[in-house]
Order: sequence, then C-alpha cells, then structure tokens
Amino acid sequence: MSAPTPTLALKVMRSTVRRPARVGFTIAVVVLAVMALAAVFAPFIAPYDPDQVDFSAVYASPSPAHWLGADALGRDTLSRMIYGARTALLGPLLVVIASTLLGIVLGLVAGWRGGWLDATLARIFDVLFAFPSLLIAIMAVALFGKGLVAPVIAMSIAYSPFVARLTRQLVATERSRPYVSAYRVQGFSGAWIAVRRVLPNVAPTVGAQSTLNFGYVLAELAALSFLGLGVQAPLADWGAMINEAQAGIAGGYFLPAIVPAVAVVIAVVAVNVIGEELSDRIGGRTPA
Amino acid sequence: MARGRAAARQVAGKLGSLLLTLFLASLLVFFSRFLVPGDPVSFLLRGRKPSPEAVAQVTSEFGLDLPPWQQYLNWIVGMLHGDFGRSLQYRQSVATVIGDRLPVTLGLVVMAGLMITVVGLIAGTVAALNHGRIADRATLTFLTVLGAIPSFVGSIVLISVFAVQLGWFPAFGSGTGLPDTVYHLVLPSIALAIVFVVLIGKVTRMSMVEQLGREHVEVATSRGLGRATVVRRHVFRNAIGPILTVSGMLVAGLLVATSIVESAFGIAGIGSLLVQSVDRLDFPVVQAIVLLVVTAFIVVNAVVDLLGPIVDPRAAAGEAGR
Amino acid sequence: MNAPARPDQSPLLDIAALTLRLPAPKHGKGRELLHGVDLTVAEGETVGLVGESGSGKSLTARSVLGLLPPRADVSGTVRLDRTDVLTAGRAQLKRLRLSAAAMIFQDPRAGINPMRTIGDHLTESLRLGEGRPRAEARARALELLEAVRLPDGEHHLRQYPHEFSGGMLQRVMIAGALAGSPRLLVCDEPTTALDVTTQAQILDVLAEQRDRRGMGMLFITHDLTLASAFCDRVYVMKEGAVVEQGTASRVLRRPEHPYTQWLVAATPTIEVNGDEPGSDGSGERGSGERGSGERGSGAPAPVLEVHDLAKTYQVRGRGPVRAVAGATIAVPAGEALGVVGESGSGKSTLARMIVGLEQPDSGSVSIAGVAQTGTPRTRAERLTHARLIQLVFQDPYLSLDPRISVGRAVEDALRLHHPGLGTTEARSQVLGLLGQVGLVDAHAQALPRTLSGGQRQRVAIARALAIEPAVLVMDEATSALDVSVQAQVLDVVSAIRRDRGLTVLFISHNLGVVRTVCERTVVMRSGEIVESGRTVDLLTDPHHPYTRLLLDSVPRAEPDRVA
Repeated sequence: MSAPTPTLALKVMRSTVRRPARVGFTIAVVVLAVMALAAVFAPFIAPYDPDQVDFSAVYASPSPAHWLGADALGRDTLSRMIYGARTALLGPLLVVIASTLLGIVLGLVAGWRGGWLDATLARIFDVLFAFPSLLIAIMAVALFGKGLVAPVIAMSIAYSPFVARLTRQLVATERSRPYVSAYRVQGFSGAWIAVRRVLPNVAPTVGAQSTLNFGYVLAELAALSFLGLGVQAPLADWGAMINEAQAGIAGGYFLPAIVPAVAVVIAVVAVNVIGEELSDRIGGRTPA
Repeated sequence: MARGRAAARQVAGKLGSLLLTLFLASLLVFFSRFLVPGDPVSFLLRGRKPSPEAVAQVTSEFGLDLPPWQQYLNWIVGMLHGDFGRSLQYRQSVATVIGDRLPVTLGLVVMAGLMITVVGLIAGTVAALNHGRIADRATLTFLTVLGAIPSFVGSIVLISVFAVQLGWFPAFGSGTGLPDTVYHLVLPSIALAIVFVVLIGKVTRMSMVEQLGREHVEVATSRGLGRATVVRRHVFRNAIGPILTVSGMLVAGLLVATSIVESAFGIAGIGSLLVQSVDRLDFPVVQAIVLLVVTAFIVVNAVVDLLGPIVDPRAAAGEAGR
Repeated sequence: MNAPARPDQSPLLDIAALTLRLPAPKHGKGRELLHGVDLTVAEGETVGLVGESGSGKSLTARSVLGLLPPRADVSGTVRLDRTDVLTAGRAQLKRLRLSAAAMIFQDPRAGINPMRTIGDHLTESLRLGEGRPRAEARARALELLEAVRLPDGEHHLRQYPHEFSGGMLQRVMIAGALAGSPRLLVCDEPTTALDVTTQAQILDVLAEQRDRRGMGMLFITHDLTLASAFCDRVYVMKEGAVVEQGTASRVLRRPEHPYTQWLVAATPTIEVNGDEPGSDGSGERGSGERGSGERGSGAPAPVLEVHDLAKTYQVRGRGPVRAVAGATIAVPAGEALGVVGESGSGKSTLARMIVGLEQPDSGSVSIAGVAQTGTPRTRAERLTHARLIQLVFQDPYLSLDPRISVGRAVEDALRLHHPGLGTTEARSQVLGLLGQVGLVDAHAQALPRTLSGGQRQRVAIARALAIEPAVLVMDEATSALDVSVQAQVLDVVSAIRRDRGLTVLFISHNLGVVRTVCERTVVMRSGEIVESGRTVDLLTDPHHPYTRLLLDSVPRAEPDRVA
C-alpha cells in the first residue's frame, strides 16, 4: 500500500495485536443457543410442569428427582428455569427489534436530511435521554398496569433514541465522504444513495450495538419482574423467581434465588461477548 | 474581550437549552396520564373506594374540571412553590413523603458514586496503560463479568453471602445515626455500583487508549519527559472529556437503580417509594419522583456540558471537540 | 554554511546496520521493516533522507530519539553523541532527548496538545524535564518564539493551538524543539502538509536557526528536489534499505541507482523543458477575462465556460467568508486547464460549483453549450448532467464505496446510464475500462481496501470514464499519491486524453504537475483568478506578483554545492 499520509512508522506503532478470544465467542453463542432452544422447546424438555406444587419437596436440595432443587412451594427449579427462559428472552428480543427498526429509520432521515428535521429530532431525543429506560418502564406500569406488555412497548420507545443517535452520527459521517458525492455526481438520486448505499454501510455497526442493548434490556425486564411490576408470580420468570425466593434467603435457602440470578448473569455475559465481538469485527472493516 | 462575550453567549445558550428540555420533559411527565383511556378520576382512584369525598378531593386537587393546559400550569406553579400534591397512600403532602426519604437515597448514591469513580478510573487506566497485554485483557474480562451483574442479582448474592451466611453486614434497613447508616449502606451501595463500574471503566480505557495513540504524546516523550509525566499531562488530561460526559449520563440510571436495591434491602428511600407507589397506585407520588429523577439528569448533564470549554478549549471556540 | 565533517571527529549521528523487524502475530509472519541502514550526520551538517511511503525513512528518524515501537525487534547501533540510543538506559535517553537531539513532526496540529496552551508546550520540557524555574522557562520561551519569527510572544504564550494557522503552529513546534539547544534536529516531513509559500517560510526559519546554532540536521522528505535544495548530503531509501547516497546535487543530477533515476524522472519540476503539452505555441495570455473570440480561427469552441462565478459562505463566529469571486474561465474541447492555488484559494470550491455539488451565489456555468441552472431534480436531468461532467476526488481512500468491489462500482455507473445493458456486455465493458487505466481483470472483484492509493484513483478514473463525460474534473486527484504512483496515474490521464480527446479541468497546488498535464493554467488566490495563460508562459515569465511568489517558493536545487 502506498499512502504518503500516515507514515509506516506511525501505522506500525499504532497497530495493536488484537486477537479477540474466538473461544469465548463460540461458547457465548452456544450458551445463548441452548437458552433459546430451551425456551422454544420447553414443554418437551422440562421434567415437570412449572406450576406443579409439591409440598413434600419444599426447599429440596439438588437430587436426581430435582436437578436444581425445588423452591418454597416444592416446584422444580429446573423446569421453572426452562420455562422462565421464554419471558427472559422474548421481551428483550421484541424491544431490540422494534427499537432498532424505529431508530434506524429516524436516524437515517435525521442524518441524511439534516436541517430542521434533524434539529427537531435531536431535541426530542434529548428529552427522551433524560428518562432512563427502567424509569420509562416503571412509568408505563404505573399508567397501564403490571405485566410485560406495557414495559416492552415503553422500552422499545425508550431505546430507539440510542439507536437513532448512533445511526444519525454514522450516516452524517458517511454523507460527508467523497464516495457519496461521487455517487451524486454520477447521477444517482439522494434517496437511492441513502437507502441502497449508505444504509448498508452503517447497518452492521448499528446492529452490533443493538446486540449489546439486548443484554441491558434483559437485565432491566428481569429487574422489573423482580420488583413485582413485570411478570407476575406465580408465572415462571427468572426475575419473578428471585423475587419469590427472597423470603427464603433469611432462612438460608439460597438456591431458588441464586440459580435464576446466575442464569441472568450468564445470559447477559453471553450477549455482551457476542455483541462486543461483532462490534470489533465490524469496526475493523471500516475503510483505512 | 470577544472571547468573554462569546463565552457568555454560549452559557446563555446552554441554559436556554436546559430550560427547554426541562419544559418538554415536564410536558411528557404530566401528559402521560392522558394516554390512559377512560375517565381520569377512575384512573387516579384505582384500587381505592371511589367515595364522593375522594372523588371531590381528587377533582379539586388535580383540577380535573379545568382544561388540560391549565391543569399543567397549576401543577408547575404548585411545584415551584414546593407543593407536589398529596400522596394517596400516606395522606400527606408528597413533598413531605419524598423529603423524609431523600437523604438515605442520596447517601446511597454518593457512596455508590465514589466506588464507581475510584474502581472504574483505576481499572480503565490500568487496562489502557497495558493495552494489548495481559493486564488489559484480564481487566476487560473482569469488567465484562461485572457489567453483567444487574443490581437485583448483586443484591441477592451479597445478601446471601455477606449478610446471611457470613453475617458481616446487615441485610435490612438503613440504620440510625451516620456511622450506623453508612455501615448499613455498604452492601446496597456495592450492589448498586457494580453494573456502573463497567461503564466508567470502559470509557476511561477507550478514551485513554485513543489519547495514547496521539502524536502529541510521542512529541512530549521526544522532548525528554518521563513516562508518568507524559501520561498525567497528555494522556489523562485529554481523556477526561468523554469520561465526564459518561459520568453525567450515569446519574439518572443510578437514581432509578436505587428502586431495585432499596427494595431488596428494605431501605426506606426514594427508590423503594417509587416501587411501592406504583404497586399501590399512588400516582401523584410516582409523577413527582419521575420528574425529580429527570430534572436531576437534565441539570447534571447541563453542568457537565458547561464544563466542556474548561476541559477542551476548542469547545470554547465553538469548534467540535477532538 | 555547513562545517565539513572533520575526519578526526566522530560524527554527531552514526547509524550502523540498523535492522528492525516486527514480531510475528500469532498466526502471521514477522515483517522486516528496516534492512541494515547505515547513515551518518556530522556536526553542523544537513543530511536529507528521501523516500516514498513505506521506505522506512520515518522509522529511521524515530530511532534517533528512541521512539521505536516497544514490541519491535531491533538490531544495529544508533549512536547519538557517542551513546547508543538503542541500548541506552532511561536516564541516558532522557538526557539525550533533553539536550542532544530533538525532533519536529509533520503535522503540528497532531503534535501539540490541543488542550494546553502554547506556553505550556514550550516550557514543559524546561520546567519538568530540566527542572528550571517557571520564570526562567518563560523567558526562554519568549526568546524561542522571537527566533522563529513569532514576535507577539506574550500574547501567544496564553493562546491555544486551534487559534494558530498551520504554518505558525509548525514554527511553534520548531521553537519547542529548540528549547533544549539540541545539536541535532530531526525533521520528519515538516513541510509536507503546508502550502508551498508557507513551506518556503518554514525552510527559511530552519535554515536560519541551523546556521546560527551550527546544528546538524536530519531532514526527512519524499521530495527529492527539496532535499537537494536544502541539504548537503542525501540518502535515498526504498523499502527499508538505503539504495543511494551522495552529495545533494550529485544524487539529483547524476543518479546512479535505477530507483533513484526513476524517482528523479517521476518528480515533477517547474523547469520548462519542452515536454509540456501544447508546446506548439497555441493560445495566448491574459489575466481574468477571457472570451472565446480572442483565439485565432480554427480553434475549437469552449466545452466548459464559466462566467463570473461567485460563492460566499457564512461561517459561524467569523462572519462571511468569500470563497470564490468573479471566476471566469473557458476551456476548449480536448484541452486541459490547470487551476493552481494554495489552501484557501477557492480552487476546490470552484471545482465543486462547476461539477454541481455546490450552487454558486451568482454567475453561470455552461458545459458543451448547455447552461447549468440549479440542482437537477428529475432522473433525466440528473443523468444528462452526469454525462456532461464527472469528477475525480482527492482522497483515494474515501472516494470509493468500501463495501462494493471496484468492478461493481464501475458497473453501477455504467448501468445507470445504459439501463438496457445486458450482464455480459456490461461486464466486458467494465473490464475494458479497467484495462484502459492499467488494471487487470483480477482487480474487478477486489474491494477498495485491498488496493493501493494509485490503483484506487485509477478505478475512480475508470468509473468517471464509464459515463463518457464531456469534461473531466480532477480535484487534486494525485496530491495524495507517492511521486512514482502519481507519475503512473498522470500517464493514464495523458493516454486517455489522446484516445478520447477528453477535456480536463485539473486542480492542483503543484505547479510542477500542472506543467506536465495542462496547456493552459489559471492561478487563484483568495477566491480570485489573478493570472491565466499558457502554462509555459506562466512559468517562464509570470506577470502577477503572487505567481512570482509561488514560483520563487518552489525549492530549486542549486548548482553543485561545496560538500
């Protein structure tokens, strides 16, 4: 490569030998896949019905009958965990998809057109940024009642400004690049350039960021259920399970609380590892 | 001369912007109630006996017989006078209820904030200065795992291990008197801080790594300055901007997360009040707390924004930073 | 001017067998970046180190101050003032950096901390490195600013870098380097990023300081002519090794190594020697206005006509900035017109207005007889406009869509204008175009990031040609390329002009390049055209003082200097 601007020396000094742990990435993907499969095939995998009460197994320790033990009502923890994966993963999925779609559209328009549209949207986003997503979810519950529906919709709206802001920034940068001007000079229309050429260039980066959002949403929705505002007991949801299990902790019965807690952490770690690896890989593809 | 005038204009502009955002946010908070279909009285009195006195009280207090914009104005004017309405569950003024609980939450947030800053900055700096080597990757892994521990998980684990099992710290309440309170708040503030340490740690690392690659660092080294001096004066000093910005954005998140931690630890603070009020359908309190959190965020970020020109002189000239 | 190296005195700088190798990342191979470099600089001598990018000249320069990457595997010796930098301890290294040698870098905006004052930059090493008291350091800083011809010292000390122009900032960088009174000054392409007139000023300052202090200098540049003009001896490097060395004038006038010969041949100069286009005497001179009626009969009608074009920008905080004013040019079919100017001259804005990327405030543009009014709205208008004029941009890295293979990029342009084209037909035309610019079929599937700067520019030209425009505008299209690569691309342009009779508008800051490409040239300054005429006439007999200043500022190798 012959480029007189960055000297070879500088390039050499700035190059970092980064070999992200491929192993970690694969493990993360496997873990997430397992959880997803468990959620989808729950009725076929779970040994017990998640709501099946069994007073003879109250706070049972792990055993061949109950691999992860049982909770205060004798319900099998493993089965509840498997069924719990459904709400744990579905909610964030919906939020991420909705917020990404909405955010990309708004960000593309704002970044491409600029002007008053951009300024107005920026102002609206400024206001939305002042509301932490968990707060908006709580507000939604206060207005529309407990459950997952209101929070999911509210969080989709709460996260779109983040996606939009990133998209807008990337689009605005691309727009200033000569290749976009080159397309214009060649005779392509603005809309064509924006949608068919600029958007595909920025979408991967935005998508990678959205993957990271999945982890945040997962934690927040679980937290909401933990507070008793999201998924309601006796439904099996990891956050709700921890909520119910709080009572037993004072008595030394940790397992019904720790198991779902660990599951949340593992899920979030897995998503974060995947998201960061994707961001790195995509970041490395930007032009020299 | 011109510099002073331009700076004053900048400050005025930012204050104006802050007020506008506050205004719009307050609109959002106030009018969210109108999104709920149906009769406002029944919404406000959900779960309570709709006796004629209750109806009358709610109607007069919220001005439900007035046009919406006037209701909004009354609300704003009332707040500026310190009147945030009356709590439906406590039959006290909202201001009193919140006022009683605010100190504990603030204490919690301050303690957590200290931990976040110290641990985050140190971790980020260590990682940045050892970029690409073992210390960096280890710190990153540590941060990634930490970042996956939401406050409710952290609370449960800390209570299980350090309160119940080991008995080193209390699991419940906020204690009496300053030293006892601090003792009670140790575990909760750790639980609160964990997830945010990552954010500060990562932005510190990223910002410092970027500065380390800049040519002025190389130039300073070539002039004969020691490594520590160069890092202090050219790397860290330049890296502060983004760290400050991220810190500002954390504040609201911290406040909201107190709802989780306070609920888990049975602490009577603003956070647990929020959850409780939602649960008990006490809308005036919910509204007031939401506005409080949002105002805190907007003000803190405006302050960080105003500090911009001090951190980066180019911002003072109106040019984009970096 | 320069004290000749006395045989009994050991050289100030003695680099011997310097070899640098990058260790292998886990799955790749290590790369050797420097192969046994030998180089000496005597007391008070100015030595030039010339090479293109990737030659290793910058790395060699950095080795003098011990700034090599820590992971690098280095062998050989770099003796500065008799201490080997490569094996020196930390304290020794510090001492060397404080008083034996200093370095100035190419980009002063990157090299000076934007968040600290100029005063801080200048006094930092004195206060914190040598431990001098603040007042003393400050006094010294004022002296230094005076020395680099920045007399308003008191005021400057309190200012920040963004308040300075590039030239002033480079002088500040020089002042900072001189703070410790170094015996050797290493200059890494200090004027490459500057306008030619600013470059002349900086070189003056450097020359003055080196004479006054009797400093030795290691001057890195890619410009062989500049090295010959400024230095006593010159080394030429290629791909990590020294291929030639000798006295400056000898290397330039009688190069021995094939690479040096090639480099000399490819380096554009402003000396008129008969290989300019249009040397047959067509055209006449004028300044400003030019009507098509002035030319003799039989001359082709102008394909590009610009009349009184103007544009003013509103810059926040600085008021209106006049980018272009009253620009009038006319380019006959098949001719190349050069537009020469420094930064801020408005040449790029003029080009963008002519192409239609920006709208002028007043004036008119007419291409092939068709008046250009406003931005094209409908698809038909856009396509018609595109077929009139195309543009090749300066930045080879960002002017191609990074996601699309270069073949596809050319094909997209082709298909836009020939919608009925079949796939095979389109593909073969694309390959044909790539062939015309000197690329092979295999390149069609390549992504831009795998190609060199020169190759990318050729793709950009092919893409422009696919649309068969009446006029091709090249906006500093070769300025970011290495000298030898630039020569190749210019050859391509000449060939295309011959084959297609293309009309070219060639924007550049480099008079030497313009000389080899354009029959006629206009000179711009601060938005106005100050002189125009045949390129050859402009170069041999300039009328306008600014044109004369430009020509004088270009470094000229002096006749054989005393070594």
